Amino acid sequence: MSKTAMIKRVGRWAAAGLAMVVGATGLYAPEASAHGEKSQQAFLRMRTLHWYDLKWSTDKLKVNEKMTVSGKFHVFKNWPETTANPQYSPAFLNIGIPGPVFTRQESYIGGQFVPRSVNLTLGENYTFKVVLQARRPGRWHMHTMMNVEAAGPIIGPGKWVQIEGTMADYKSEVQTLTGRTEDVERVGTAGIWGWSWFWFLFGCAWIAYWAMKPLFIPRYLAVKEGVPEDELVSPMDVKVGLGFGVAAIVIVAVSYMSANATYPVTIPLQAGVIGVMDPIPAGAPAVEIGLEQATYRVPGRSVNIKIRVTNRGVNPVQVAEFETAGIRFLNPTVYKDDTNYPPQLLAPEGLSVDDNSPILPGHSRVITVTCTDAAWENERLADAIYDPDARFGGLFFFLDTSGFRHVVAIGGPLLPRFT
Amino acid sequence: MSSYSPAVFTKAEIVQASRTADWLILTLTFLVFTGGFHVHAMLTMGDWDFWSDWKDRRLWVTVTPIMCITFPAAVQYYLWGKLRLPFGATITILGLLFGEWVNRYFNFWGWTYFPINFVWAATMVPGAIILDVILLWSKSYIVTAVVGGLGFGLIFYPGNWVMLAPLHQPVEYHGMAMTLADIQGYHYVRTGTPEYIRFVEKGSLRTFGKDVVPVSAFFSGFICVLIYFIWHFFGRWFCTTKYLTEY
Repeated sequence: MSKTAMIKRVGRWAAAGLAMVVGATGLYAPEASAHGEKSQQAFLRMRTLHWYDLKWSTDKLKVNEKMTVSGKFHVFKNWPETTANPQYSPAFLNIGIPGPVFTRQESYIGGQFVPRSVNLTLGENYTFKVVLQARRPGRWHMHTMMNVEAAGPIIGPGKWVQIEGTMADYKSEVQTLTGRTEDVERVGTAGIWGWSWFWFLFGCAWIAYWAMKPLFIPRYLAVKEGVPEDELVSPMDVKVGLGFGVAAIVIVAVSYMSANATYPVTIPLQAGVIGVMDPIPAGAPAVEIGLEQATYRVPGRSVNIKIRVTNRGVNPVQVAEFETAGIRFLNPTVYKDDTNYPPQLLAPEGLSVDDNSPILPGHSRVITVTCTDAAWENERLADAIYDPDARFGGLFFFLDTSGFRHVVAIGGPLLPRFT
Repeated sequence: MSSYSPAVFTKAEIVQASRTADWLILTLTFLVFTGGFHVHAMLTMGDWDFWSDWKDRRLWVTVTPIMCITFPAAVQYYLWGKLRLPFGATITILGLLFGEWVNRYFNFWGWTYFPINFVWAATMVPGAIILDVILLWSKSYIVTAVVGGLGFGLIFYPGNWVMLAPLHQPVEYHGMAMTLADIQGYHYVRTGTPEYIRFVEKGSLRTFGKDVVPVSAFFSGFICVLIYFIWHFFGRWFCTTKYLTEY
């Protein structure tokens, strides 16, 4: 093939490729709408952390304004043994956002400030709160999130939040223990640019000194032919080199002393696990449940959970809600949600009970709870029946006649029904 | 005209062609090390230099010089051994820094909006100059390894302290003592780099108390000596055409 023909062929293929890229992105370029939470295996999402009572203080704010994500989470007792658990591995209360579009100003577990990792106890419930300051304008998907060392990120429910304004206006000032007020976004930036450029140019000057003379080919031939070293490197070259070396050391020493004079008090980076967090105090459970059987009916996208409920409290109770992997199935005759929960994760009429009458104090009853919604499929929880450990987990919420809510965890095998 | 016919005839043309080749080779060398050394650095000590809350006084001080004396040693062998040019360390370090800053500015800041004072690249130019000058002065790889390698490790922390010191100011933040760098790490959310992943000094019964930096820097310098030896052999073994069957 001639050179011209080859160039034409390459040109045609390049044009075709460019047209495909432009066509593919120009005609259909949907926005990224999630953080891959559905890709995690269903049994892991249902049997690790259960986030509930979640509140996003707002879904629209301006740069520098603050918002709060708060709620509770339950650390599942039957945590999969294949996944490191936060009782023994450090866990870090994170927030699932696409980079620093918000800055995390505060975060608390059980009222304790947690800028670093902690340990949690299996089977316990915790309150949490994360305060965020808006930084970068845009529409962002914000998830609750807990990272567990050796396990990975455990992502909770997500919600869209809109930030308006200009990032250049963002400011986050703190006062140091020596009395200075510093903007975390900008402190030291001028020095970093200045010194980085200085040393870069210093290095360039050293190379430029040698580049003034013939470099590669003549020197290569000279060395190969055994030209004496003195003819290639003169005493003046050595003196100039020593000058550069001494200058580098002196400048480093002066800059070091100057930094110490400007910032006489500094401390090392702070690190280490904060400790075991305090859970929500829990007395003897007023409602106890035992799993009889749980089945997932594939055609109907519904889970039937047969449980024995024992009411050891003083008021009659009813099933109000079942939550798993952030999806909430509500019993509409008992409870209605008014928290503006993400609609794709809420089934407001998704829960029914075969005997919905209140369970009286001291009584025990076997009931079948049916949770039906397309969310089983959409959120890929139905995949649990294809998981290597086909078990489920979740939280039952019972309401008693005084309005008190009882939170009870449940888990066990999940049997598929294909007809 | 045969493809083997000379393109230059007069001495002036030869000199001109040689200088053109000099600048082309110099530019290409710089860009090759920008790419190759940058990948090496990111894979071996990436996070320590990505974030200000990883730039601690123990591991950052130790790991970064050890991982970054590698290419300088290999390139010094070639440039000095074959050309008597003493800027092998400086040109590789400048290539690395150029690549790092392109990454930090356009990727970390321009794309993901982490502020520069959180993701700045540490400088290693003073150490590189020392390596080159020691080689120029001593004309010996052994002296360069022992004296220059030690100097490369020792000068790293003080050379960067002027940029790091403002970020190590102490702050009481919601009842806890933190440096400004810690606060940066807390403020600027990294979903894929949670706090426990930080591999920084945490202290133990087997570590020194207050004077961590000098011990770390000397240890780093000592290992730099060994790494220099190993990597100068890479230069010796691979700056040859004997592996090419046709050229």
